[in-house]
Amino acid sequence: MSSTSSPESPSPGRGDVVRTVTVGGRTLRVSVRRGTDAGVPALLLMNGIGASLEVLQPFVDALDRRRSVIRFDVPGVGGSPRPVVPYNLSTFSPVVSGMLGRLGFDDPVDVLGLSWGGGLAQHFAVQHRRRVRRLVLAATGTGSLMVPADPRVLAKMLTPRRHRDPEYARSIAGEIYGGTMRDDPARAARALHSASRLGPRRGYYYQLAASTGWSSLPFLRLIRQPTLIVAGNDDPIIPVVNARIMARLIPDARLHLYDGGHIALVTEAGELAPVIEEFLD
Amino acid sequence: MAQPATDPKAPEKGTSAKAAAGRPADPPEEATEAVMGLDMVLIDAARGPLRRLVPPAGTALRFGTALARQPGTVARRGGELARELGKVAVGRSELAPGKKDKRFADPAWSGNPLLRRAMQAHLATARVAWELIEDADLDWQDDERIRFTATNLVDALAPSNVPVVNPLSLKAAIDTGGKSAVKGLGRFVRDLASPPRVPSMVEPDAFTVGEDLASTPGAVVVRTPVFELIRYTPTTETVRQVPLIMVPPTINKYYIADLAPGRSIVEHYVSSGQQVFMMSWRNPDERHAEWGLDTYGQAILDAMDAVERATGSERVALQAFCSGGIITAMVLAHLAAIGQQDRVAAASYAVTVLDWSRAGTVSALMDEESVKAATEKSRRKGYLDGAQLAEVFAWLRPNDLVWNYWVNNYLQGKPPPNFDILFWNADTTRMSAALHRDFIDIAIGNALTEPGKATMLGSPVDLSKVTVDSYITAGIADHLCPWQACYRSTQLLGGGNRFILSTSGHIASLVNPPGNPKSTFQVAADTPADPEKWLAQAETVQGSWWPDYMTWLGERSGDQVAPPSGLEELAEAPGTYVFDK
Repeated sequence: MSSTSSPESPSPGRGDVVRTVTVGGRTLRVSVRRGTDAGVPALLLMNGIGASLEVLQPFVDALDRRRSVIRFDVPGVGGSPRPVVPYNLSTFSPVVSGMLGRLGFDDPVDVLGLSWGGGLAQHFAVQHRRRVRRLVLAATGTGSLMVPADPRVLAKMLTPRRHRDPEYARSIAGEIYGGTMRDDPARAARALHSASRLGPRRGYYYQLAASTGWSSLPFLRLIRQPTLIVAGNDDPIIPVVNARIMARLIPDARLHLYDGGHIALVTEAGELAPVIEEFLD
Repeated sequence: MAQPATDPKAPEKGTSAKAAAGRPADPPEEATEAVMGLDMVLIDAARGPLRRLVPPAGTALRFGTALARQPGTVARRGGELARELGKVAVGRSELAPGKKDKRFADPAWSGNPLLRRAMQAHLATARVAWELIEDADLDWQDDERIRFTATNLVDALAPSNVPVVNPLSLKAAIDTGGKSAVKGLGRFVRDLASPPRVPSMVEPDAFTVGEDLASTPGAVVVRTPVFELIRYTPTTETVRQVPLIMVPPTINKYYIADLAPGRSIVEHYVSSGQQVFMMSWRNPDERHAEWGLDTYGQAILDAMDAVERATGSERVALQAFCSGGIITAMVLAHLAAIGQQDRVAAASYAVTVLDWSRAGTVSALMDEESVKAATEKSRRKGYLDGAQLAEVFAWLRPNDLVWNYWVNNYLQGKPPPNFDILFWNADTTRMSAALHRDFIDIAIGNALTEPGKATMLGSPVDLSKVTVDSYITAGIADHLCPWQACYRSTQLLGGGNRFILSTSGHIASLVNPPGNPKSTFQVAADTPADPEKWLAQAETVQGSWWPDYMTWLGERSGDQVAPPSGLEELAEAPGTYVFDK
């Protein structure tokens, strides 16, 4: 009996160096793609909830090779070990900052946060202002104080099942992710790597807890970095009005609206990557 | 064989004497001898910590019965103990710890009358416990079991483990103004919060895989769901025609063969002009519950296919470690059965047991019930948890792996010292439920010793049909894969055999870089059936076995050729699977 006949590719591609870094008692699996131009600031990606760094592969592939790209798995997700002690965004931001230091990125980086990672990115940009040059917030909101999604959608976000069960991911993808997933939900299952990488359980709940009760609404004005807000007009998880609110409150913000859903950054990377790169350059 | 460190009659050499607790401030060499092994997977990792302090009911009964039959002896031992304790109380006892027993090395243990009494009372009690086990004269299995329990219990009760009583803890508290106690408590809470629930033997950031460990340059050239195949970059102008594929254990990561530069087996092979490929197993999770021996055997065949394609060589050599050796031997039997044995030019088995009759403490500890419980637990979960295995390992040698870190980490509030092997040891992996089950079946039924009792990929396994030359290594102080058990492979495998007996234990016998003045190995011209006969005629060679293996393999590796180039590279070594926690 052999399982090798149907190769899956659960790991990042050529050019990515995967390693583990331990900071402040937390061990993170990190992937770094070294850019060909050291003059271009590195781009740090902060991922959506429950998603391993592999999920971002299509987006990374769509980015210019000149740019260094850093990705990581939060504790208990992807290849990072399960957290022993829970964390929240304010205790986790220093870990990410320390991780950058350990990786040798001492100059300011650009930060892109997708969904849950957008919350972390906003927090990180305020708490570690000098580390962040520019900020990109994709399909994200202001945390617990925001215009919420349909409760039926939110209920499905409460468990990591879509990351563990490809069948289930297919059945709900259209409803929760919107955009092109409505027509092709199987792509969502593939995009989530629910077949190649084991979705988290405890790690997911810790991640959920990390942002519970947190909101960036009171401190959006403290985000001083030039910020690009990228939002889809068919995003069932983050209604598009949230992007408009953020764009109004963040002092130096631009808004880019696209036709699509919650995970368009991954599924339509070819369209969104150039928009983001234009802003960063 | 487990034996309390307090045993005054402990011989100078061998496993048991090494049980003396080295403070972590010293290079924890003893610890390295206890960290790995295949047999451990056979223990029920799910058994709670208290089970280690209680012998199986049957064993306890037989121990009790044996002693009840000789009431005179028991009374004499009791009297001896009472007299000795009396002497201790009035301060006239001569009892002193063994020279190697570092637990009581601090002068306060002899200088302070109270501490001296506490220490001597412990030594006296431990000695009597030990003597009673000798008196009981049980059969080997019960004897191993009761010694295991006694070791755990006696060592746990040592006064050196008690905060405040141990002078080191007081001194640390005074030196740091109490900070050591706070730090120690913090470490205690952190360690116990998640498995393995034993004192940590190394800081989690002591080393970085890919930088100071697993840093031999190379690239991943094949990736399947089961493994990544790393090809190391040749550093010599020409290389041996026949490439070497290394098959690591399925427990913990492959980089035991690629530790820090200067201590890396792979690095040594590459610099000796060998083409080296390494299989890096994926850390399986619950979706891979069905990966059994056949899956892993097929993976070796897949690696062979890929290497043959990449190098243009029709033959490969294999070197396997520990549990990897079991799979490799079975794959060779499969190749022999289908008439493709000539694809393998040479095979090497390091600390591998193929014949499990009386293979040591662990097999003695197994009983049918706990074996069933173990397989059932991993079946339900989909895998066997590496952290729980690490816990079992630690309790096999509590003084080296638990109590001295207990004193260091908690009582003194100090970080454990950095040591590459222990870092590797702490980097645990899971084992798929099916592989766990298959290994247990093989070991319990001792299935590789009888032709046809086990199968690999549909072929009945008959190791005598394997006529490839074998190079077999073992460690003289290996308590998990005793060298005599490793030696028996020479009798199972057909073909020419060279058996090497290295100094030290399971892991240290592998990580044996040339240049260490202390390392030697023994070797003999032939391999008679009786290991003791072999030992009698073996001569001792100064140095490490690595160069000897390179010579042996070189004779079977064909011509010198230019290194093949133009392989597709998927990722840089050490690859990506090695980072999956």
